[in-house]
Amino acid sequence: MTAAPAPAAAPRAWRVPRPAGPARLLRIELRRSPVLWMLPLLAALFWLSAYRTAMNNPPFWNIRAATLQANAMLAFAPLLAGVCAWAGSRDGRRGLVDLVGVTAVPRWAAQLAAWAAATIWAEALYLAGVAVVYGVTAHQGAWGGPLWWPVAVGVAMIAASCALGFAAGLLLASRFTAPLAALVVFLALAGGAFAIQDNVKYAQIWPLSVQGPFPTDSYGIFYPYLPDLAIAQVMFLAGLAAAALGAIGLPAAAGGRWLRGAAAAVTVAGLAAAGTAVGLAGTARVEAHGIVIPALHDAASDRPVPYTPVCSRSVVPVCLQPAYRAYLPEVTAALGPLLAQVAGLPGAPVRVTQVAVTSVQAARSNGIGFGGPVIGGRPPVLYLPLSGLTLPGEGNASAAQFTSNLRQQYGLSIVDELVGLPSGAGPSTGANGISIALGPGHAAQFAIAGALEQDLNLVTQVPTGVRLPPGARGGSAGSGASAPGNQGLAAGKRFAALPEAARHAWLATHLAALRADRITLSEIP
Amino acid sequence: MTTAGVGRPVGRAPGCPTPARPPRPAGPGRAGLRLARLHAASRRVLTCVLVLAACAVALRTALHWLPRSGVYARQIPLTIEAGAAAVIGVTTRSPFGEPERATGRWLPWLRLAASVALTGIAVGALAAGASAAHLDGGAAGLARDLAGLTGIALLTAAVAGGALAWIGPMAYLAVTLSALTEKWTTPWTWPARPPHDRGAAICAALVFAAGVAVITVRGARDRSRE
Repeated sequence: MTAAPAPAAAPRAWRVPRPAGPARLLRIELRRSPVLWMLPLLAALFWLSAYRTAMNNPPFWNIRAATLQANAMLAFAPLLAGVCAWAGSRDGRRGLVDLVGVTAVPRWAAQLAAWAAATIWAEALYLAGVAVVYGVTAHQGAWGGPLWWPVAVGVAMIAASCALGFAAGLLLASRFTAPLAALVVFLALAGGAFAIQDNVKYAQIWPLSVQGPFPTDSYGIFYPYLPDLAIAQVMFLAGLAAAALGAIGLPAAAGGRWLRGAAAAVTVAGLAAAGTAVGLAGTARVEAHGIVIPALHDAASDRPVPYTPVCSRSVVPVCLQPAYRAYLPEVTAALGPLLAQVAGLPGAPVRVTQVAVTSVQAARSNGIGFGGPVIGGRPPVLYLPLSGLTLPGEGNASAAQFTSNLRQQYGLSIVDELVGLPSGAGPSTGANGISIALGPGHAAQFAIAGALEQDLNLVTQVPTGVRLPPGARGGSAGSGASAPGNQGLAAGKRFAALPEAARHAWLATHLAALRADRITLSEIP
Repeated sequence: MTTAGVGRPVGRAPGCPTPARPPRPAGPGRAGLRLARLHAASRRVLTCVLVLAACAVALRTALHWLPRSGVYARQIPLTIEAGAAAVIGVTTRSPFGEPERATGRWLPWLRLAASVALTGIAVGALAAGASAAHLDGGAAGLARDLAGLTGIALLTAAVAGGALAWIGPMAYLAVTLSALTEKWTTPWTWPARPPHDRGAAICAALVFAAGVAVITVRGARDRSRE
């Protein structure tokens, strides 16, 4: 028996573990991101500030989308900036900067993975909220389709908040960094909203502005949603995010020369994009269908959206855009009595058609004035814009309030339009702040309009900014009827006292002359 | 062996310098002051006071531009107040954790003094910042809102840890902005109520008292590794 030597085991190669790849690094960061623990709180805030507000408004895609952009960001952005500052300062707080600085993975890549993990959780929650809001809106039967540009602004805002907070935490690892980051973002949002309110030229770039001064229900229905401002905002926010993320790759510890060069390029590109976006926002102008930025405007957006109107079966049919289908009974109830009284008169509308905003006028404090109803065409049609009115279900507004407001605001305009008073002279349009100086020739028109309004129980108070001519319906408002005002008042009372058939017969004969201002007060029966 | 060293104190060799005398035990007053100073230093109280001063300057600057009434006249000062409360909450974080809890006999009193003193300093600083301009709600509203927000920060510190105490007032601020625009009437959203609303004042005072009590007894929920 021999003791043959056992064959020597082949030496195993000593394998150096490969550094964690980006996907593995991201998985690790996703598990340890502090945003994960914030999700319940953020979800509660989303429900409170965005979902509740959205559901307290009628199911219009534009209203819901605006809530998702503005309200959700007010709740999300500051807290996310704070939490990401907390995540960014993690190594500094734990005294691990030197330890992790010598690892195989470049620090910039590891930091980007931590930022990406925080951002992914926040975006996932936001998009889940968007899915719920849009799902409920679709279930409620909203006409048209969801608006995605406001959601894109929200997504970009979340990424930018996380990037800015993360960079702040990384550069200044202190216990005070997180609260100060949240505070600064809150103040920036509030200051931006204040600047928008103050009509500052470049303030529209702020992501709380969805379509400048336009009410949320006044765009994206008759014409496509104009994405010009949203594109500029996304560019601005993406630029801010890129600049912040690039800045954290600039220190010597962040990586090698090439990596730092790339970080510098990203920073410069981000700053350039943000600056360009601010410049573009400065060229924005208010047009009838939304905010237009000439350099970003697509002419295809100016083509109207095709639709089949829904009409009532009343004496004078009322036709609305299908998005407003639910309000057809209220609109018919509001205008029906007035339209029935003037039906058959020469120039009286034979149909009511809802239209988009006909004209806009920018006003102070981020306000806007819309043109009122207009009678035109052959046969005459009443073109009725409903944008800017408080719809039933918006806030606490009821259907009765909507009917009453529509009657009071547009009834007056329709009567004025019918008797030939110039546009802007009527109380409803005058309330927009347009000052019209009227000559004495319109006295008969005022008297007849006053009588009709009195008969229909419409408001006849004279708004600020409207100067009435001598002999006009100042008396009907019951305030300061002078001697010539008394003549107009007396004529109006005479006419209102006539039986409805007699009034109708007189108007059928004299309406054309009245409109041409060829009737005097003494000719009114 | 000689007897040369006999009679000298043990441990002193000839030619050696006289050792430093052991420190005399400090009197209770000096010891208390030193303890308070060390506690303040460990909590970064000085930085907190500087941030509160910066908040006062920010409030003064904002009031120069803001309208005298309306939503913005309430929102922006309220945001600064929430920031001040968040900073006070963050100051409760202890870097020592359990060892300090186990050995610090005077710790509850130090926490009570620090939180009450910082709240007082914050109210004073912000009131001074607003003194030369019109603050919607006045100094009474400011004191009420700030006390309530600080109470929330202290409660958050007790639940989530001192370093995360800012989350409470900031989340509450987000809720309050909705309450301001939608005109909520519940006294639990006290910043949305008029400054002389008794229910709102009681709610804010209760929250502040609860926050101070909890932070005094239990302290912030901290781990020593951060």
